[in-house]
Amino acid sequence: MSSAPTTNPSVTLRGLTKRFGGTTVVDHLDLDIESGEFFSLLGPSGCGKTTTLRMIAGFSDPTEGTILVGGEDVTSTPPHKRDVNTVFQSYALFEHLDVRRNVGFGLRRKGVDRSSIDKRVAEMLELVELGDRAKDKPSRLSGGQRQRVALARALINQPKVLLLDEPLAALDLKLRRAMQAELKSIQREVGITFLFVTHDQDEALSMSDRVAIMCDGVVEQCGTPEDVYERPTSVFAAGFIGTSNLMNGLWSDGCVSVSPTVSIPAPGHQGSADGDPVSVTVRPEKIWLTEHTPGMFRLPGTIVETSYHGATTQYVVSVGPDLTLTVLEQNLPRMRAEDRWSPGDRVEAGWLPEHTVVLR
Amino acid sequence: MARRVERKPVVAVGVTIVFFAWLYLPILAVALFSLNDKKSLSSFSGFSLRWYDDLVHNEALLDSLVASLQVAAAATLGSLVLGTMLALGLERIRGRRGNLIGAVTLLPLVTPEIVTGVAALLLFTGIGLKLSLTTVVLAEITFSIAYVTVIVRGRLAGIALEVEEAARDLGCTPFQAVRLVILPMLLPALLGAGLLVFALVFDDFVLAFFTTGVDPQPLPVRVYSSIRFGVSPAINAIGTLMLLASALLIVAALVLPRLLGRGTSSLDLITGGRR
Repeated sequence: MSSAPTTNPSVTLRGLTKRFGGTTVVDHLDLDIESGEFFSLLGPSGCGKTTTLRMIAGFSDPTEGTILVGGEDVTSTPPHKRDVNTVFQSYALFEHLDVRRNVGFGLRRKGVDRSSIDKRVAEMLELVELGDRAKDKPSRLSGGQRQRVALARALINQPKVLLLDEPLAALDLKLRRAMQAELKSIQREVGITFLFVTHDQDEALSMSDRVAIMCDGVVEQCGTPEDVYERPTSVFAAGFIGTSNLMNGLWSDGCVSVSPTVSIPAPGHQGSADGDPVSVTVRPEKIWLTEHTPGMFRLPGTIVETSYHGATTQYVVSVGPDLTLTVLEQNLPRMRAEDRWSPGDRVEAGWLPEHTVVLR
Repeated sequence: MARRVERKPVVAVGVTIVFFAWLYLPILAVALFSLNDKKSLSSFSGFSLRWYDDLVHNEALLDSLVASLQVAAAATLGSLVLGTMLALGLERIRGRRGNLIGAVTLLPLVTPEIVTGVAALLLFTGIGLKLSLTTVVLAEITFSIAYVTVIVRGRLAGIALEVEEAARDLGCTPFQAVRLVILPMLLPALLGAGLLVFALVFDDFVLAFFTTGVDPQPLPVRVYSSIRFGVSPAINAIGTLMLLASALLIVAALVLPRLLGRGTSSLDLITGGRR
């Protein structure tokens, strides 16, 4: 499978809207998900991402709008006739059936003959590394194994798109990291479109081909992980992913004045007139406290807070009255404990102008 | 920390022993005197199975036994079907309306049985239904639905709503989802509820008394009417047998669901699930 999106839509949403009583949970959503893509819907709880997924699966009827799967309008098709399958957050395994029958359930419903089912179940269990647990009841499996059964049970039907509703949320951190890598490699191997719902930004960034950041039922920004991280287009997107130094100010003459004494140049920004209120942000790891290079914008300041995070150290630098910057520094091999900054140290925070992102 | 005093709870143990003695000694007496070789109910003179022999040759009592078994089986089947359907339906009604309907279904559990009995009698005679074992079954089903619903809903609460959606996601129609996934997962609860209802209905007196016809009468009613003409030790014999049968069913209700799977048994719902 090529990782580059083709113009072959797997899921197309047009004006998709869901209202419960007076509240609009999903608001005129337009989305095109390409075939073979690993696409994530990322947002805080209550942003409408799970409702969107449920509408695509057919468990929830849209108030307005259309849903196309593989180019076919399925808006009013019942779930059992849709060519999509879901991996549920609770896994929703059938506890009365063993692993083999759980995984083969969908094929049996389709009337596939016995020997083909057995063969495909065996292959699928091999793929998720559960070949030796075929005869176990789900209650005998660990969380990670149950998760794989849920995945195998959905994937074996070779749907046009696989919907995953926070499937890793119930796993502990270490297992979650391992499953992230495994999910990604399984997706590459089977080439099926994955639509992944999560509130975990790391998960979305590390696994996805593209990410849509949702808030209050609308997509705030949609793009590659690098796009949404490096070039956020809204205050919400900048704030939700990673740490950002968000400052409010006024646009004037190619700079954003965020305080009477501090004016941050943003050469790349266009479309604002002098005096427009704007926000400006720069990622903490883009700011250097030492080894500045020519062309960097520099702000003198004082370290007010340090916190050690193992691989990194985070500093809070005061650069003016009521104005602080968060800075993340790698704890590189050549750095020793005594080389790290302490509160009260005078420093210079510098970054390249291209890392200044202006948000309107 | 206060010093922890570990004392044997003498009073609690004593009260418990007295309680169980009060509860079970009379029953033990019945069982004992069913083995008495004299007709006396006050002095035990020797061991004999003659009252059991009497019983086996007492046509009327045996007819009543069969009648009670039939009533219990029919009421169990009927209340299982209706109670399960009700539980599945209630699962779909959320919010205040669901709570209200849920509470109404529990009313038979707290309504004095004599009220239910009189009401059933008035209803049946009012609509011109001839009193017979059929009317007993109808009354018992009405009463037992609540038990089934409570037990099945308890189990349903443990099955994520997503399980039914998963079934539909994998190609089941709504009906198939219930038949192929939900009902099999409910099986332990259904078995437990069925055994419980069977045991309750089999020896239920009040409802049966008000709603039964003349012949044959359910066993508890028959036993009651024969007691009015003096207690025969044969009554003790049948009482002992009924006690054993009921105890067996209760134990089965407790044990079978565990053997069938890890599901909670119906008795866990009543005892709070302590194991």
